[in-house]
Amino acid sequence: MIEVTSLCKCFGPITAVDDVSFAVQQGETFGLLGPNGAGKTTTISILCGLLKSDGGRVSLAGKTDPTQPGVRASLGVVPQSLALYGELTAQGNLEFFGRINGLTGRRLKDRVAACLEMAGLTPRRKTRVSTFSGGMKRRPNMVCSLLHEPDILLLDEPTVGVDPQSRNLIFDNIEALKGQGRTILYTTHYMEEAERLCDRVAILDQGKMLDLDTVENLMAKHGGPSHIEAELEQVPTNFEELTGPLEVQNLSLDGNTVRFQTGDPMQSLAALNQSGLRLKAMKVETANLEDVFLNLTGRRLRD
Amino acid sequence: MDKVIALAYKDLRVLFAEKSNLFWVFVFPGMYALFFGAVFSGASKGPSNMRVIVVDEDKSDFSAAFVSRLRANEALFVLPREDANTPAESIDRAAALERIRKGKVGAALIISEGFGAGFSGWFDTNEPKLQIAADPRRQMEGAYLKGLLAQAQFEMMGERMGDRTWMKSQMQSWRSDMSDANDLGSGQAKVFLNFFDAMDTFFEDVNDQAYTSGLDQGMMNVGTLDVQKEETGQQPKQGFQITFPQTILWGILMCAICFAVSIVKERITGTFARLCIGPIGQSHILAGKGLACFLTCGGVIVMLLTGGKLIFKVPINSLMLFGVAVTCTATCFVGLMMLISTLGKTEESVTGAGMAIVMLMAMFGGGMLPLFIMPTWMQSISHFSPVKWGILAMEGAIWRNFSLVEMLMPCGILLALGAAFYALGVLMLRRARL
Repeated sequence: MIEVTSLCKCFGPITAVDDVSFAVQQGETFGLLGPNGAGKTTTISILCGLLKSDGGRVSLAGKTDPTQPGVRASLGVVPQSLALYGELTAQGNLEFFGRINGLTGRRLKDRVAACLEMAGLTPRRKTRVSTFSGGMKRRPNMVCSLLHEPDILLLDEPTVGVDPQSRNLIFDNIEALKGQGRTILYTTHYMEEAERLCDRVAILDQGKMLDLDTVENLMAKHGGPSHIEAELEQVPTNFEELTGPLEVQNLSLDGNTVRFQTGDPMQSLAALNQSGLRLKAMKVETANLEDVFLNLTGRRLRD
Repeated sequence: MDKVIALAYKDLRVLFAEKSNLFWVFVFPGMYALFFGAVFSGASKGPSNMRVIVVDEDKSDFSAAFVSRLRANEALFVLPREDANTPAESIDRAAALERIRKGKVGAALIISEGFGAGFSGWFDTNEPKLQIAADPRRQMEGAYLKGLLAQAQFEMMGERMGDRTWMKSQMQSWRSDMSDANDLGSGQAKVFLNFFDAMDTFFEDVNDQAYTSGLDQGMMNVGTLDVQKEETGQQPKQGFQITFPQTILWGILMCAICFAVSIVKERITGTFARLCIGPIGQSHILAGKGLACFLTCGGVIVMLLTGGKLIFKVPINSLMLFGVAVTCTATCFVGLMMLISTLGKTEESVTGAGMAIVMLMAMFGGGMLPLFIMPTWMQSISHFSPVKWGILAMEGAIWRNFSLVEMLMPCGILLALGAAFYALGVLMLRRARL
């Protein structure tokens, strides 16, 4: 549904996108994860035809020119900035963008009502957007792109600066769209969002794509071992004999607390249980995308 | 087309939602009309009540009569006042010049000794008996005062020449001067003496009616020709009629700036980019913006026209040509709006650049002050300002009584400039990164 091949884009001496390639299948939610300046927004801007690439090609539903009205009609773009008319009401904004997307009459009215409901803004539909909080503005900013029910959705960090309530609402909406079979390209620098929403994730840094896979595979490949911390009821005198066959790394004992790292936490815990040690409490910290990014780049996502 | 209308409708809603926009687009031109209309309401009479200090060093009956004549002129406010406690003699030449230097009055008239002596005093080119001192910043008032003085002087001369006794004494005085003159040959002296004898005979023999009838029209009789076409019988008889085109121009200019700023605001907030990625071409987006600007200009014009007709009773010779003129003018400035919107990346820079351009165009195009008071080189520059052509086109419809053919030049220039501005603006906007 979306194909990006060897995409390149430079702004003067800065290479914003450097030989990026990926493909998104129909109905898939695909994440572009990376810190600020990774090239996520530039990639989306090229995909929707706002920018011209310096090299490579993009294809949306088989069409290579995203500026064609037919392609744009099947495309919904949620921009990172709040692209709304603050002087208009929430309903006014939706009605306007609906008309621009070719909706009229009863259909326009129904879609506006549905999108207001989706954004949880029906009670405040007559309120000027300029009076909304930053988080609340994100909701109409998103649903304005859903009015025409596009097949392909490009969401550029739609939850930046959003309060938890609005964030959950946006997540619910995206999951609902995913359930409807929409193809979604989602950019974020929040690894929790990518883990929750995306089927596959491409990790970008400084314009380059470092890896692309499912979240589980990325963590397995680059996340490193899980960290396990267990509190024992009693430390036996033959502790070292008992833990010898566990095949874990960095095993240490601090009072009644035992810590170690393992590539397979479930297997290690089962082995620990079978060793005869009695556990009082236990904490497992599995690898996440933050660890993946750290291991790939040596920096944290929010550095 | 539906999308263009939707865009224009949205822009109008955004415009009307912002109160400061309403002020600049609708209230400011009205204030302009009131202010400059009041200023120009006396324009046909010249600057009224010009404050002039008169210093009478001659103190003759003739100079006193001359000052009285100046006081009777409505265009002048002669100082010191006759009814003031301070006598006229208390202001001397130095004090008068000091008051001009301090900017308290615009000009002073010094009547030197010998002014009342007769023709020799009036026409003495070596030592002028009337001297004007004017504030260097108010040269126009000085020139205007010169004209009024010439008028008064000629009228006084007319009165003197109507007095046969005075004229005879003047002949006698000239005879004495002739006998004292050593540099005049006897032949030439005889010619003059024969002329004086003839004049004496004329003054003795002519009857009063025949003598005075020759001076009925005074010494300086200047008529006024009506440059209007005869069939209308109208002329710009009130200031609001003169300033009405300028008022409309200001309304259109403010519309252009407001919409130019709205374009850059959309570029900054991202709504322009959002529109660009919708199923609509950039040309449609800009056409929608232009349509909204054009409609707003139309609204402002209708409002000002209604106010002008109902409140200020501004007569308009041809409503049809007026419609043509304002349509062409609005089209031109819609194009200018597009160009101004590309002159900066922030609201502040576009507002600043827009105001600077508009001010320059208005200054050189007669949007602030009438062109005729500007130096010649400035009047030449005014040809490049669309404000000049807009005002000329509207004046043509309001009181100059232009024919459709006469309207072609200003309207054609406005449309050509508008198209050039629009094309340049669209080109620059496309080149600019969103």
